[in-house]
Amino acid sequence: MTRPSPGWRDPDRAGSLRLAALFFRVGAQNELQYRLNFVVQLLQSILGVAAGLVGLAVVFAHTNNLGGWSRPQLLVVMGIFLMMNGITQAFIQPSMNLLIADIQKGTLDFPLTKPVDAQVLVSVRSVDIWQAADSLIGLIIVIVGLVQQDVAVHLVDIVSFVLLMLMGTVTIYCFWLMLASTAFWLIKTDEMQELFQGLYRTGQYPVGIYPGWLRYGITFVVPLAFAITVPAEALTGRLEHLALVGAAGLTLALLVISRLLWRKGLQRYGGASS
Amino acid sequence: MIERPAVRVQSLRKAFDVPVRQPGLKASIGALFKRETREVVAVDELNFEVGAGEVVGFLGPNGAGKTTSLKMLAGLLHPTSGTAEVLGFTPWQRQPAYLRKMALIMGNRNQLQWDLPVLDSFELVRSIYRLPRQQFTDTRDEMIALLELGALVDKPVRNLSLGERMKAEIAGALLHLPAVLFLDEPTIGLDITMQKRIRTFVAEYNRKQGATVLLTSHYMADVQALCKRVIVIDHGTVLFDGGLQRLADEFGSTKTIVARLDVADGEKLDTYGRSATNRGDGTWSIQVTRSEVAEVTGRLLAEQAVVDLTIEDPPIEDVIERVFSRGSTPA
Repeated sequence: MTRPSPGWRDPDRAGSLRLAALFFRVGAQNELQYRLNFVVQLLQSILGVAAGLVGLAVVFAHTNNLGGWSRPQLLVVMGIFLMMNGITQAFIQPSMNLLIADIQKGTLDFPLTKPVDAQVLVSVRSVDIWQAADSLIGLIIVIVGLVQQDVAVHLVDIVSFVLLMLMGTVTIYCFWLMLASTAFWLIKTDEMQELFQGLYRTGQYPVGIYPGWLRYGITFVVPLAFAITVPAEALTGRLEHLALVGAAGLTLALLVISRLLWRKGLQRYGGASS
Repeated sequence: MIERPAVRVQSLRKAFDVPVRQPGLKASIGALFKRETREVVAVDELNFEVGAGEVVGFLGPNGAGKTTSLKMLAGLLHPTSGTAEVLGFTPWQRQPAYLRKMALIMGNRNQLQWDLPVLDSFELVRSIYRLPRQQFTDTRDEMIALLELGALVDKPVRNLSLGERMKAEIAGALLHLPAVLFLDEPTIGLDITMQKRIRTFVAEYNRKQGATVLLTSHYMADVQALCKRVIVIDHGTVLFDGGLQRLADEFGSTKTIVARLDVADGEKLDTYGRSATNRGDGTWSIQVTRSEVAEVTGRLLAEQAVVDLTIEDPPIEDVIERVFSRGSTPA
């Protein structure tokens, strides 16, 4: 029996980004009609930020320094945490939730009958653009933090930051894809979103402040460190070149591993109905 | 030149491993360590060919293996053994060149983007299949006209009624002008008018594009209107493969003689055939076996004042039912 040809040999592979861009654009355009959603989402984001700021205020009522991070620098971490959260909720999570539902119901048929890489198709099917409000507020908080800290930020830092944010996005995407792919084997995966959110919340603080075992957990098991703390390091003058290389390596590794897991799951997928 | 069949299926078999769970807590805990599975054969030794441009009805009771077969032909499932070839491709290799020429439509499923207006969804289809703009626009507009979608295309899919959505689904699935079409219950749950509209459209598409169509439906009207040939399967194997008329001849053991008599409440005709029912107004319908047709007709004409007389095949549903009952209890 022949196995499906691996996607990276497909001639249409080059069109993946084009396809993703189009799906996101059409989805976003459509959602832009519902402006009230934006207001609601913005209010929600602001509430979330307020809660976060209260947390920070409590911490700094007792100390001026948390694991070597000053108050404005922790603001930067929190801002990046929010930015990533917005990106995840707007562009990654909606499609992944759809994917999980499709696998569970045995309705993951149509993306597989299209002449494009199925992974691309299932990853771009849905957007929830207003969730990106978090990213906007996050960016503002990052800027506030940067202005307040007494470390100069150079162009190279910003470039590193942008690169690391991109890699962080890919990292989280891969993590989500692996999480969703477990649905091929597990039956009850309803709590995926809560599980992810729970883990993600630990990213609100730099990984360095957590005790050893937890630190390794959120660095390597759930690579949140690379998605949030490392970009923050770039903006607060503590990024080591090695970390940049490490983040790139990890991103690549995750891309490959998540794709393998996805393909393994696809092979298993038999369609729940007869 | 002999044309190559569009679909060729040989000894196709698909078995699923289904976990078996014994009742009781002890057994459940045991199953954690040693999982017992039972093999369920959905498709077994399936053999058939479909010529290019043919419309074939795929019939069978629920669980007969129709959908599993279609899913294998559409490349979604790997068979346990056997081969299939569609347009020269092995479907489950899912080569883009094959997927570009194939469409799968399932009546109870939705493949358009739920939240997007129909037109936007079509646009995404265009980019997935990389259709040239002009060709896409022409096809799209033609489908919109044929299926009377004009007033609907600006609405999000979720706001459409079931029938409207199905029309939009079909248009969306055919924008790339596939050469082979797998339709799984395309008219399920639709009202008669909508069923008719979709039937006409599929026939039209088959005629214009010369597309090969494999169709499953529980509505015999679909099958009668579209398919000259039917493949009846049950328990995953072919029970009958041939023309609809032959199916009726072979398996329809009875015929119905409808006779209208001169006198409105004439004598009872119970003595003719196996059973006779008065439809009122002097019209009787008499069930006879095939071999009795000539004799009973002759007697009727000789002994009764018959004004009008027709001989009808039994409804196709009844015929199919007989095929199944014969398939499960070998004669």
